[in-house]
Amino acid sequence: MLVRYLLAALAAGLFVGVLMTPIHYLKLVPLIEHAEVYEQGGHGIAPTHEHQASLVSSAYAHGLSNHQAGRVILVHGPAAAGGEEEGDASLFESRALGTLTANLVTGAGFALMLGAVALLTGHRITLRTGALWGLAGFAAISLAPALGLPPELPAMPVADLSTRQIWWIMTVVMTAAGLYCLVLRRQPVVRAGGALLLVVPHLFAAPHPADLSSPIPPTLAAEFAVASLATGALFWVLLGLSLGAAMDRYVGAEA
Amino acid sequence: MTTDTNQIAGTASSTRVATGLFALVLGAFFVWGAGFAHSAALHDTAHDVRHAFGFPCH
Repeated sequence: MLVRYLLAALAAGLFVGVLMTPIHYLKLVPLIEHAEVYEQGGHGIAPTHEHQASLVSSAYAHGLSNHQAGRVILVHGPAAAGGEEEGDASLFESRALGTLTANLVTGAGFALMLGAVALLTGHRITLRTGALWGLAGFAAISLAPALGLPPELPAMPVADLSTRQIWWIMTVVMTAAGLYCLVLRRQPVVRAGGALLLVVPHLFAAPHPADLSSPIPPTLAAEFAVASLATGALFWVLLGLSLGAAMDRYVGAEA
Repeated sequence: MTTDTNQIAGTASSTRVATGLFALVLGAFFVWGAGFAHSAALHDTAHDVRHAFGFPCH
């Protein structure tokens, strides 16, 4: 029953999306909000000054007033240009509601895609193999692109958005194809090709800006990059397990 | 096919491929909307999630 298959994947994705929202709020959103303090107030200030400040809450003392109205570059172009409320064009009043919605949509999307890959390659995701499928998703969609484009905070120096998105998508597609050839195929030639596919994206340098100076303290950026990858790993393992459980329960037991 | 609880392998493989492709495209559409679309409304709504997943943002 393929409709049941799709619904099971959808349910697993939505479930994990709900589950991830408090985890994001525990570990990631505070770091993003912290970075936004630097984004709104601290850009263009001599880095030494910023680094003197203690890392944590004293950053909030660096309000706009503190900075002799320094050169403020709002990285959120469209948002800062003035939307409905506080220059925010978000679909929801509440930031948490937006995060929850985005998590639901992202979870459902990745669940459908992971389920689709299993269906197209003729494999079944079960509770027993779910974590492995999830880890493969993590490798392709979090880990490999993070090697070239580490998870970034607002206000960090970045290259052109579209160029980065193209590099990201290229890396994800090649890593996923490489993993497929390496793990699910038997022929040595195909496996060698798969290993090559894993390496190739990293031979093309990911787009980086010429000027790397950043208002974000490096410690904050490092903390966020690690937290983002760890949260990503958790998301993918949970997604794989939920997909497996949903398949076991709602779709026939045998592939 | 609609009334019988066929197993995945039991259904015609063309249907299986079609369903797989449909799910792949639909899933990619969702992820694109949440993570990649340049629309300001979508960006601002999904902002924290984009950063959390390490999607290229801004």
